Amino acid sequence: MIATVPSATLLGVDGRPVSVEVQVVSGMPCFSIVGLPDAACRESRDRVRAAIVSSGLYWPNKRVTVNLAPSGVRKSGAGLDLPIAVALLAADGQIPSARLADLAFVGELGLDGSIRPVVGTVPMAEAIQAPVLVVPDASAAQAGLVGRHQIRPVGTLTALVGALRGSEPWPAPAECVPVEAQLEPVLDLADVKGQRLGRWAVEVAAAGGHHLLLIGPPGSGKTMLARRLPGILPPLRREQALEAMRVHSAAGLSWPGNGLMVRPPFRAPHHGASAVSLIGGGASWMRPGEISLAHSGVLFLDEMGEFPASVLDTLRQPLEEGVVRVCRARATVTFPARFLLVGAMNPCPCGEGMTQWECRCSEQARARYARRLSGPLLDRFDLRVPVGRPVVAELLRESTQESTVTIAARVERARELATARGMACNAELPARRLDELAPLSAAASRLIERRLRSGALSARGLHRVRRVARTLADLGEAGELVETEHVAAALELRVGLSSLLPSLAA
Amino acid sequence: MSAVLPGHAYVAALAGLPHLTPSRLRRLLADRDPVKTWESIRAGKLHWGLLDPGVGHADSSKPGEPGPPPELIPVFASQPEPSWTPAALARAWRVHAERTDPGDVWTAYQAAGIQVCAHGGDNYPAVLDEDPEAPPVLFWLGSLSALERPTVALVGTRACSHYGEEVAAELGSGLSEAGVSVVSGLALGIDGAAHRGALARGGAPPLGIAGSGLDVIYPRRHARLWQQVGTRGGLVSEAPLGAAAEAWRFPWRNRLIAALSDVVVVVESHRAGGALLTVEAAMRRGVTVLAVPGSVRSPASVGTNALIADGCPPARDVDDVLVALGLSRSTSHRVQQVHSCIPAPPAPPDSLEGMIWASLDSEPTPTEVILARTGLPLGEVAAALDHLAEAGWLRAGDGWWQQVVKVPSCSAD
Repeated sequence: MIATVPSATLLGVDGRPVSVEVQVVSGMPCFSIVGLPDAACRESRDRVRAAIVSSGLYWPNKRVTVNLAPSGVRKSGAGLDLPIAVALLAADGQIPSARLADLAFVGELGLDGSIRPVVGTVPMAEAIQAPVLVVPDASAAQAGLVGRHQIRPVGTLTALVGALRGSEPWPAPAECVPVEAQLEPVLDLADVKGQRLGRWAVEVAAAGGHHLLLIGPPGSGKTMLARRLPGILPPLRREQALEAMRVHSAAGLSWPGNGLMVRPPFRAPHHGASAVSLIGGGASWMRPGEISLAHSGVLFLDEMGEFPASVLDTLRQPLEEGVVRVCRARATVTFPARFLLVGAMNPCPCGEGMTQWECRCSEQARARYARRLSGPLLDRFDLRVPVGRPVVAELLRESTQESTVTIAARVERARELATARGMACNAELPARRLDELAPLSAAASRLIERRLRSGALSARGLHRVRRVARTLADLGEAGELVETEHVAAALELRVGLSSLLPSLAA
Repeated sequence: MSAVLPGHAYVAALAGLPHLTPSRLRRLLADRDPVKTWESIRAGKLHWGLLDPGVGHADSSKPGEPGPPPELIPVFASQPEPSWTPAALARAWRVHAERTDPGDVWTAYQAAGIQVCAHGGDNYPAVLDEDPEAPPVLFWLGSLSALERPTVALVGTRACSHYGEEVAAELGSGLSEAGVSVVSGLALGIDGAAHRGALARGGAPPLGIAGSGLDVIYPRRHARLWQQVGTRGGLVSEAPLGAAAEAWRFPWRNRLIAALSDVVVVVESHRAGGALLTVEAAMRRGVTVLAVPGSVRSPASVGTNALIADGCPPARDVDDVLVALGLSRSTSHRVQQVHSCIPAPPAPPDSLEGMIWASLDSEPTPTEVILARTGLPLGEVAAALDHLAEAGWLRAGDGWWQQVVKVPSCSAD
């Protein structure tokens, strides 16, 4: 007898439909899986047998062949355990094949017959065409996000077999906890004392999607500012949320509530991160890297100067293209990677390089430190801001600064203006359309011309400054024309590297 | 090896011997035909006494003493050989000489457009002829026309302050405009700022004195400056082509700066530093030394303030230097200026610009501080600052602003 059950496997962040075919015929008892299974997949033989036996079902003493079609595609992970078990039971006649019509299965089996959640439920569910999807209890919320299937959450193989035989009803889905209740409270920007320039920079970064580099001595509040950035970003739109969730799901990560993701992700990898962990890949399993996990959100590189130069340089191409193509001998995978990069670093190894006589570093040590960040990478930061230590008086003063709620509202309005122009954010304004979408007032063009002539502004920096000025004008709801104050402020928010990293001084 | 090679070719080849200090080279060249010296090195027949008459004597490693023994030069301490005995040195030279063709060396110098001149040669700078520590050989790029004018060395620390950098650049451009050639060491900090100033407005040709070979740009960051000084004026070195910027070469470079200058101005110097070596060398030669006074709180002015305390005349501006050169008579008119140098606000103090102006210091003030003091939004502050800077009331830096002391009467004088 042959039984076929639809399921799916994961390649990168994409699901691939897989049809699980099981044939049970008389002959020498044996169990083989064909169709390019990986190690985890091949081991499902033992899990399936144990689960069937523990669930009080009968293990056929026959020749069992499992084929995972299409057999050319590599199958990974343990998500095929459940479809293999179901197809085997159907092929052996222990459950009626007729009841399997319209059903697809995804799930890992425990030796005791329990059904466990799997990595990548969202993309796998997307790949499945069958109208009804049977998933582990814990993955039900994620699978339901695709919205195309009727979801049947099950907890054990026994319960599933009972439902398939018609002897018991399908288990009821668990109560959904409201997502808001599970979200952590947002960090408030009003907590940051002083740091006016830094607060402006964070607001502009959020409103225009401009990459931001904060440079300052230890303890000046760079990390504090950066961690408050996601709070003022607008909530994810549905399609952004789905993309972000596919990536998180493919990496085996959960998110608060497991419902639709609302908050933009915030990823802050430690500076010991390897290039592969950052951009994605891996030997056995093409796992999305930190830059893809930060898709639609913020990638925060604290202590950027401590990252190896080779690791940082891998960011250049994704920053430009918004995707990263990871190539391995077996497969090439494209991960989404459109993120807001926020870097924080000290001006030099001892951290005191911004105050003139405090720095204890040698010239060579400072030069080495600054060399970690290549010119092309530094150039991609639209906003480069010095963050000095706040003065004591400001630390003690009662905060009268604007709160995250106020700023977030302004940011959202600015983003709406960008959307009305047909851009996701101002940072993506193409250079050739700047004159049309960010026209300068006469005084503003004169200011830019002066800076270009004095050499303070390069031709490449010009476009970046104009985009930031556009965002500042949007934040101020100044209308179509970009005025002098916006350009002047944009120039203040893109401080020359020579004064930020002393060793780069001419 | 052909007979048509000029004597200079052999001098250049001798200068390229390993571990060759100017004092050793001077002994090699003293009263001997460079061709014969080269041949005897090649044949291993060099008289050891020529190498280091003072071997074993711990005499001073200061430039000017007849031959610092190689062991005393700190850079050799890091070499694989613990010390260079005359025998080892002779061996190293012989190996080098056997592998080197003076003809190739000469071709390399000619290809690089570098002039070579031994002490006593026709084109040797006259100012060095009588110098007690005259370089045995000089290499230069560009022209030495700077030496036909009054020359002023602007020297100082590499770790300088904004103040020092600005003063160096102002002195550089002012002197250059007044027809005085600026001599400096092309190092980071004061040296570089002085030459940038000298090149900024044109004027007298500058002279750069390098510690390394003329094809080894050091520091690399000054590649552009190096090239500009070479085209507009001249670059001088006593190190052969390919010589790395080893630490021991710089005291020699400093004495060359002092020897080529009519006046030495120390713009900023820490308590101890290379600039003070230049001062010592200048004093030995009777060259006038001026020091730029600095803040008593600035570590970069400790050395210069100490020089003033010891009796060096201060260099407050270009006029002070010109007086020292004998090109200007007095600086008495300045007393008047100082009184009128109190900065006047550019706008009524209750206006926006007046308020922003008042929040600045006469030292570089970061934008963050201005924002904190005024409590105004970034756009307004930035636009006003830019407007003030355009009108010349402020100096704009990268992320900082500074009040400019405007003295209308000064320009009227």
